[in-house]
Amino acid sequence: MKFYHLAITVLVMVCALTGNVPAAGMTAYDIVKKSEDLLDQAKDSRTDMLMVLLNKKGEKRERTLNAFVKRSGDGTSKSIIFFKTPADVKGTSFLVWTDEHDQDRQWLYLPALQRVRQISASGKGESFMGTEFTFFDMGSHDVDDYTYKLLKEEDVGGEACWVIEALPKKVEFYGKVVVWIRKGNFVPARADFYDTKGAYEKQGTFGSVKNIQGINTPTRIEMANKLNGRTTVIELSNLVYDSGLKDDIFTERYMTRGN
Amino acid sequence: MLLATVCAPLAARAFQYEGPHGTASLAGYVEARGACAFDGDTPEEDPSGELGLELKASSASWNSLKVFVQAVQDGTVIDPGSSRVFNDFDRVYQDRSPAVDIDEAYVDFYTGDVDIRLGVQKFAWGRLDEINPTDNLNTEDLTEGGTDDEVDRKIGVPALKVNLYSNLANVEIGWVPFYVPYRLPTVEERWFPRVLVPPATIDAGHSVGTIPVRAAYPEIDLPQGTVENSEAGIRVSRHIRGWDVSASYFTGYDTMPLVDTPVDLDVELADPLALDYDVTARVAMEPVLHRMHVFGIDFTTTVSDFTLRGEYAYFHNKHYNRKLDSILEELVTRDRIDETLSDFLADYLTSGGRDTRQTFRLDPVSDVQMDSMKYGLGLDYIHGDTSVSVQCIQEFIPDYDSDRPVYFSKDGLDTLVTFLFKQFFLQNTMEFNFRAAYDIEFKDYIARPSLKYSFTDRLQGTVGLVVIGGKYDDSLLGQFQDNDQAFARLRCSF
Repeated sequence: MKFYHLAITVLVMVCALTGNVPAAGMTAYDIVKKSEDLLDQAKDSRTDMLMVLLNKKGEKRERTLNAFVKRSGDGTSKSIIFFKTPADVKGTSFLVWTDEHDQDRQWLYLPALQRVRQISASGKGESFMGTEFTFFDMGSHDVDDYTYKLLKEEDVGGEACWVIEALPKKVEFYGKVVVWIRKGNFVPARADFYDTKGAYEKQGTFGSVKNIQGINTPTRIEMANKLNGRTTVIELSNLVYDSGLKDDIFTERYMTRGN
Repeated sequence: MLLATVCAPLAARAFQYEGPHGTASLAGYVEARGACAFDGDTPEEDPSGELGLELKASSASWNSLKVFVQAVQDGTVIDPGSSRVFNDFDRVYQDRSPAVDIDEAYVDFYTGDVDIRLGVQKFAWGRLDEINPTDNLNTEDLTEGGTDDEVDRKIGVPALKVNLYSNLANVEIGWVPFYVPYRLPTVEERWFPRVLVPPATIDAGHSVGTIPVRAAYPEIDLPQGTVENSEAGIRVSRHIRGWDVSASYFTGYDTMPLVDTPVDLDVELADPLALDYDVTARVAMEPVLHRMHVFGIDFTTTVSDFTLRGEYAYFHNKHYNRKLDSILEELVTRDRIDETLSDFLADYLTSGGRDTRQTFRLDPVSDVQMDSMKYGLGLDYIHGDTSVSVQCIQEFIPDYDSDRPVYFSKDGLDTLVTFLFKQFFLQNTMEFNFRAAYDIEFKDYIARPSLKYSFTDRLQGTVGLVVIGGKYDDSLLGQFQDNDQAFARLRCSF
C-alpha cells in the first residue's frame, strides 16, 4: 500500500517535470477528447447568430443568421446557414455536407442569381463571409488529427484551465494550436492559432458559457486576428439541441426557401 | 446626401412581426441612378429614382407570401397616351414614368414532398451565368439593352410552379398560362436595338431612284389565352456522386424579339405628264411569335479548387430574324418596282385619273426557321476575397442558309466568351467587379467595370463604366457601340 502511494506520488512528480500532468488520470488527449465529446453530445442543433465584424479602428458591421447542424453516426454531418441581415446578404444561404470518407460538398444560394451554386470545398483556409473565421475554423475536426501535450495550468478570466498544445499530424492551415480548457466543465476558454511558419496568427476566446439542455456551451466566441488587427465576435442565441432536425432541411429546397 | 438623410428614418421603419399569428416583414430600398453618355450624339438617359418594396409573410410553416414591387421615376420618355401606372403583362413597349412594376407576387404552399408556388414569379433554370439556353419560362426587359443584371432583366410572369421532391430525383414543373412579352424601349431611347431600325433609304434603280424608308413599331398581337397557347416546362434534377445534373424540356415562345417586316410601298404620281413617281417604303416591325421546343441538360461539379458548370439546349422550330438589309434588297428590286409602277398605272387609268396615290403591300419572308443548339461551359475559382469566372457559350445552326443571313450568327456559328472578376476589400465593404464579354465571330465586346462601397450596412454606392465596341454595327453588342457611358448608383436599404 505504502509502495502504491509512493508510486503515484513519483508518477505525479515525474509528470509534473515533463509537463504531462495527468488530470485525475487523464492525458492531454483525454482532456481534449472529453471536451469535444461534451460539446458534441447533441445530434443536431439550431441557433440564431449575431456576427459582429470589427476592423482595427473599432468600426463595426453586423450580420445576423440562422444556423442548423446535424450529425449522423456514420461520419457525415450537414449544416445550413441562412443570412438574415444586412440587406445585401439577406436571403443568402450556405449548405455544407461533410463526410469523413469523401470530399466535402458546399453550395451557395445567392438571391441575386436565384440559383444554387456548387462551390469548391478545398478553399477551407479562406475567410468565411469576410470574418476572421475560416471555413476550416467553422468546420468540424477529428480529435485524432492532432497530437496533444499538456503544457501547464493557468487561469483565464478567473477560471482554472489546462493549457494544451495541439500539433496537426498533417499541416494544412495551422502549424500549432494552443487551447485553454476549463477544468470545471471542459469547455474551451481560449485558443491561440499559429500559422505554418510559427507566427501567432489568431486568438479565439469562448465566453458566456450557458448550460443548454445539459450541455455547457460558450455562447460568445471572439476571434481576434493578430496580424491584421481585425476581430469577429459571434453571439449565439435561441440555441436548441436535438430538436429533431430532418435531413431534407439540408437540401437545395430549403436553401431557396430562405429559412 | 438626400438619400442618406432619407435612409436614416426609413431604416427605423423597416417592419418585422413575429407572433402567434405568423410572421411578416417589410423591407426595401430607395435608389438613385444617373448615367453620363460619352458620345453626346446618342440619346440621353435621364437620372432615375427607384423604390423597391418587399413584403414577406407567413401564417404557418406550410405557407408563405412574397410581394416585390418596384416603382420607377425614369423621366426619360413619357407615354402621353396612358394614365396607367402599373406596367402591363401584355405589351412590348411600355414607356411611362413614373411606373410601378409587380416584379414578383406569389404564394407558396409547402406540403411533405411537394411545394407549390402560384403567382407572378421568376424561374431560374440552367447553370451558366447571364445566358441560360435552358431558361425560357421568363421573358426579359431589354429596356437597358441587356446591360443590367440577369435577375433585374427577368420579367416575373404569372405562373404555377410545382416542385416534387423524392430520393430518386427532384422534379420542377412550370406552367405559364399566357405569354408575357419581352419589353423594349421606344425607338427614341438610348437602348433601342439598332438592328430593328431599317436603313433610311433604298436604291430602287433608275425608275424611282432612292426610296426613303420609314419604320413603324406596332404593338404585339398576343395569342389568345388558351391551354394550347400557354407555355410549360419540366426539369428533373438529381445529385449524383458530387455532380448536380438536370434535364429539362420547354414548350413555348422564344424569349428574344422576332419581327415580321411587311413593307408598304406608297406610290404617288407627282407628275402625270412626265410619269414622275414619289415612292416611299413603310416597314412595320411587327412582333411575331413562333412556338418552339427546347430540350436541355445542365450540370455542375467541383474539380479540385474549381467549380465546373455546363449547359446544353437543342431548339426545335426556332426562328431567326433575317437581316433587314437582306430583306429589303431582296424585296425592293428594280423589277419589283417596275412591276409595282405598272400596276399603279393600270389602276390609275382604270380610276379615270383619280387614284393618284396607291399603296402596295409586300410581304417578305422575314424570318427563317432553323433548328439549332446552344451550349456552354463555365469555370469558377475562388481564393480568399477574389473570385474569377470564365465561360464560353456557343450557338450552332447546323442547317444555316448563307443565302438568307440572319442576325447574330455567322455562317451558323456564334461564340461568346465571358469573364467575371470580383475582388473584395476592407472586410467586404468594398467590391471591385469586372465583367466582360467578347464575341469571337463578330469581334464585338462589352466591358463593365464597377466599384461598390458600403458606407454602412444600409447605404451602398456604385460607380462604373459600360464600354461597348465592335467591328459591325448590326451585331448583338456592336449595335450599341456608341453607347459607352459612366454610371453612378446610390442605394439605401431598409
